[in-house]
Formats: sequence, structure tokens, C-alpha cells
Amino acid sequence: MDLSDRGTQLRLGAAVGTVLLVLAIALARGWPLADIVTVGFVERTLQAATPIALASIGGLYAEKSGVFNIGLEGFMIFGAANTGALVWIIGGESPTQADLWVAMGLAVALSIAYTVLFAVLLIRYKANQIVAGLAVWFIGLGFGPFTAVLVWGNRNSPGLVSMTDVTVPGLAEIPVVGPVLFDTSPLVLLTILVAVAAWVFLYRTRYGYWLQAAGENPEALDTAGVNVNRVRYAAVIFSGAMAGLAGAVLLAHAGSFTGTGQTMVNGRGWIGIVAYLFGNYNPLGAAAAALLFGGLDMLQIQFQTVGIQFPNRLVNLFPYAAVVVVLTVWSSTRMPSALGEPYESED
Amino acid sequence: MLNASVGERIAIAAASTTLAILIGLLVVAFAGYDPAQFLGNVVVGAFGDANALARTLKFTTLFILTGVAVAIAFRAGVFNIGVQGQFVVGGFATVVAILQLAPFLPTGATGGVLLMLLGTVAGVIAGGAYGALPGILKAYGDANEIVTTIMLNFIATGVVGYLVDGPFRGEGNRAPNTARIPEYVSLPRVVFDVPDFSVVGLAVTLAVVVGIAWVLARTRFGYDMVTSGHQVAAAAFSGVNAKRTVVATMTLSGMVAGVAGALFAIMIQGYYSDPAGIGTYGFDAIAVSLLAANNPLGVVPAGFLFGALDSAGSHIRINSDVPVQLIDGIIGLVVLFVAVPELFRMAAERTGLGGEN
Repeated sequence: MDLSDRGTQLRLGAAVGTVLLVLAIALARGWPLADIVTVGFVERTLQAATPIALASIGGLYAEKSGVFNIGLEGFMIFGAANTGALVWIIGGESPTQADLWVAMGLAVALSIAYTVLFAVLLIRYKANQIVAGLAVWFIGLGFGPFTAVLVWGNRNSPGLVSMTDVTVPGLAEIPVVGPVLFDTSPLVLLTILVAVAAWVFLYRTRYGYWLQAAGENPEALDTAGVNVNRVRYAAVIFSGAMAGLAGAVLLAHAGSFTGTGQTMVNGRGWIGIVAYLFGNYNPLGAAAAALLFGGLDMLQIQFQTVGIQFPNRLVNLFPYAAVVVVLTVWSSTRMPSALGEPYESED
Repeated sequence: MLNASVGERIAIAAASTTLAILIGLLVVAFAGYDPAQFLGNVVVGAFGDANALARTLKFTTLFILTGVAVAIAFRAGVFNIGVQGQFVVGGFATVVAILQLAPFLPTGATGGVLLMLLGTVAGVIAGGAYGALPGILKAYGDANEIVTTIMLNFIATGVVGYLVDGPFRGEGNRAPNTARIPEYVSLPRVVFDVPDFSVVGLAVTLAVVVGIAWVLARTRFGYDMVTSGHQVAAAAFSGVNAKRTVVATMTLSGMVAGVAGALFAIMIQGYYSDPAGIGTYGFDAIAVSLLAANNPLGVVPAGFLFGALDSAGSHIRINSDVPVQLIDGIIGLVVLFVAVPELFRMAAERTGLGGEN
């Protein structure tokens, strides 16, 4: 991340400021900090950040290529519902860890299939990206719980199976770092890998430059002999796969499907969009923002356990309000210039 | 879509809806239910008797008003995705204003009419202000309105949800709701004898539609708005202040969403509850507006279609064993297909149905 950039400084400042503010309030009020910031809290924060970060990285790639995928929330709902349904079909009443991995893989494959259709509508048939993305959300909110009712006769599933932690012998004994990184869900480690790989791919490979050019200057990319729409198809399909994976991860951590209200996804796909805007389209920035938002979410549980009352509804609004402020105060969150414009090759 | 003929728009709207319903029926059949019976339930649920029709019209009023709110912004080239939030803030302001003012005004019909007027004014002001905010952020802070309005929807839902749960919760309410507005603050029951729909509400809705259509087509302000949306250079040369136009557009759009909120509060609910559970009218309104090619008059039949689907959903929830979530999914599919007019245009060209195109 380029630290000399004013926009990045502002974002970092905002993030650090938030953390410091929370700490200052905690000290001033004499809250038991040691009981609030526990190792368990850090572990839960990482787990909560995982689905947000995955969806965010997917959405970021699509947007970098010039296509706004605001259907992330919907694709996450499908990912979670399909993983739940598949694990039930494959493993029955008591599915194993292997069943869970297979179900997650199949659910991601299904997400890819949906996204191919979505991408064709967006790119070939020049759909209005905002409306089509909202439609995916509605379709997910409808058909996700519908699937649950068909499979379990209820919008919520019974307890299925949740991902067990992987313990690395030896390393897990290291204080603090051990339990957080080496005795945790393998999906957390997977997400860290995805974030780093996404960064390297975007900024250090030829394909990454193609992706950025497809969103910034498609004509130039076309002149260079690269098929703009093929790059965009790849990016959109990747975003759907990541959102599907995010939903699958959410289910694997929760161990059951919840389809009431806004479903178990409950706005995490939208927070994913906020996270990459907050992280200025940088995969590592997006992952860091996801960590911040995940931590904020989990902090409330910590507050409850030590008996501090907080209006949860208001605290949850922080990411949304923060992104409005960041977009306004510092317009360096510049969207790709060809965002939302269908590209037609001249030849 | 602006270049499409009226006939073509209607054909696209009909094709989107038909295709969505066909897919829905396929899902019904695939899930092991009887599609013919399901389709029958949809029709009966939307138009079966006076009660069904009243329910359809009730939802229709909301879809028309929120749809017009979206259409105003889209016509001016501003993407107001925040109608849901403006609708929520407007409705909540209406209820609060009525509850606060009721003790100072006479009871009975006079007081009722006065309170409804004042409540609606409060709703319009609140909705307009909440719409103006992203307009100002766009015009003077260069913040993309698509993102800010989406965020402001969540903020509206969260803050109002917090307020009805805590500070504004009615005394002794077990549910997170405000107190009820007084009994006499209600629209008269004419034609339909149901508690949550009045033809007066429909009349207000249609009056707003005609008023907005007139503003857009016949006034200097409307002309400036539409030219700045589609002919940016021309608008600048003719002396239109682009920034001020954006703010004015968003304010007007939010004001109409505020009327929808007021109608929802007064006619339908009579109190305000957690906005997370009141329905996504302001989001569906985007599809309503697109279905109507962003024409305020076209929003009337498009709103009626969505009203009928929602109403059918309410019927199916009670009278059928097909999970009602299917209707939500079908509405989502209608929205999806409405977003892709090109799909139907190409299909029509392929099959030779497109005619002169």
C-alpha cells in the first residue's frame, strides 16, 4: 500500500482514530479492557471478517474491470443457502467435515454458474448494472429462504456441521499469535492467502494490469490487442465465485442456515462493498477494512459479556456512515473511469 | 431506453413480466407443486374479491409514489437508490409530528384532517431533506450518489429502528413500535370498507403523479432537470446551474418519497415500526420506474403490476402451501429482466417480431 498517498493516510487515520477513540472511552470509563480485548475476541474478529473480506475482494475485481457488481449480497445468500442444502443432501443428519468441504466446493461451482448468466446479461446484453445487481439481492432474498423451506420445511435449518479448527502442533503454543493463527478455522488462513494473492495478481502481473485497464481505459487495452469483454467476464465471474465462497464460509462457521429476516448474510455483502471503497480498491486495504468492521461487530459481544450496554443498532451503522464521510471528504476514492459503461470493440 | 417507442416499452415490460412468471411457474412445478393452481392463487390473491383488490391498490399507491420519486431522479440523470431511506424517514417524521401535535389540536374530523396535513408536510420535509443530503454530497463533495444513497438507506433503517425501539417506543408497547396515532386521524372508508386502504389515498397518489408529470413536461425547472440529465453541455450553455439542479432534483425526489412514507404511516400502519420489516418499496420502485421508462404516467400501470404481485404474495402466504418467498423471488426476476431491455430487443429482432427496428 502506498503510504504517501493522502487518501490512504486519511483512511488509516480514520481506522486508527476509531480504535484509539474506543480505547480512550474504555479507559475514561474504567472498563475492564483485559476482559474485553481477549484472545477469543481477536479470533472471533478474524472469523467475522473472513466472509466480508472474500466478498469484498471479489467485488473489487469486478469494479476494477469496469463492472459494478452490487449483487454481492444476493450471491452470498445463494452461497450460504446452497452450501447448507448440499451438506444436508450429501451428509444427511450428521454430515462430516469432508461433506462440508464438498458442499462448499459445489456451492461455489453453482455460484459460478449463476454469475456466468449474470455476466452475460451485464456484458453482452448491457443490463443496467445497478438494477440487475439489486435484482440479484431480491432473487437471493426470495429463493434462498425458498430453498430452505423446500429442504427443511422451515426457513431456518437445523444444526448441520461447522468447520473445525485446524491446530498446527507447536506453533499453536505461541502465546496470542498461536491460538489466533495456528489454532483456528482453516478458512481464516485461506482468506489471508486469497487477499495476498489478489494483491499480487492485481499489482504485479500482466493480467492485473489488463484488469485495471479494462476499467480505466478500455480503448487502450483493446488497441493493445486484449479482448476487453473477456477480461470483464473473468472479473465478474470471479466476483460471483468469491461472494459464493463468502456465503459458504459464513455457513461453515455458523454451522446452520438462517433464512428469516435479511437471512444470515444480513448485510455482509453490502459491508463488503463498503470495505473495498474504504480500502480504496486495494485487496489488502479491503481485507483490513473487513477486519475493522468485523472487530466492531464482535466488540459488541464483548461489551455484553462484561455488562456494558450499547445501542447495537447504532454501532452497526459505523461502516456505512464512515464510507459516506470518506467518499465526501476525500474524493480520492476514484471509481474506475469506464465503470458501468458497456464496451463495444470498433472492429 | 429513451429512444424506444411507447409500443416497444410496453412490449418489453410485458415480456419481462411474462418471462419472470414463467420461470416462477417452472420453479413451482420443479418443487412439486401444481403450477396451474399457483397461477390461479396469484390471480385470486390480486383481484379475487373487493378485499383482494383493496389490498392490491394499497400496495399500488406505495409503488406508484416511490416509483415516481425514482423516475424524477433518473430523468435528471441522478441515480437515487435512496428512495427507501427517504420513504422511511418521511413516514417516521409523519408519525412523530402527529403524535407531538395531537394534544394541541381539537379531536374529531377537523383535528384529524389538520393532523394528517401537518403530518404529511413533516413527512415531505423530512424525506426532501434526506434526499437533499446525498444531492449536496454529490454536487459539492463529488461523492458518488449511487454509493451514498445505498449507505443512507441502511443508516435510515438503523437509526429509525433504534428510535422506535428506544426513545420513541410507545408506552407499554412490548413490540418495538411507536404509540398509535389517534383513531380520528384516518382517511375515510369510501368504496372499500377496509382499515388500511382508502380511495382518498389513491386520489392523492394520482394527483402527485399528474403534478410531477406536469412539472417535468411543462415547467422551466422540469426542462432544466431533464436537459441537465441528458444534454449536459446544452444545459450548461443555456445557463443551468448543474450543481443546484442536482440538489433540487434529489430534494424533489425525496419529497415524493416522503409523501409515500406519510401515506404508509397514516393510511396503512397508524404507527411506526422497525423499518427493517416494512417491505422494500423504495428498492422495488427502481424497477417500477424502469418498467415505465422513467415516465411518471407510465409508473401508474407499472406500480399496479407490482401492487398486484405483492398482494398475491399476501394471499399465498395464508392460502397456499407454496412458500411465499417464491413471490419475492419472482419480483426479483421481474426486476432483473426489466434491467435488460436489450435482451428482449435482440430476441425480437432474431424472431422477426420487432418489426420496423
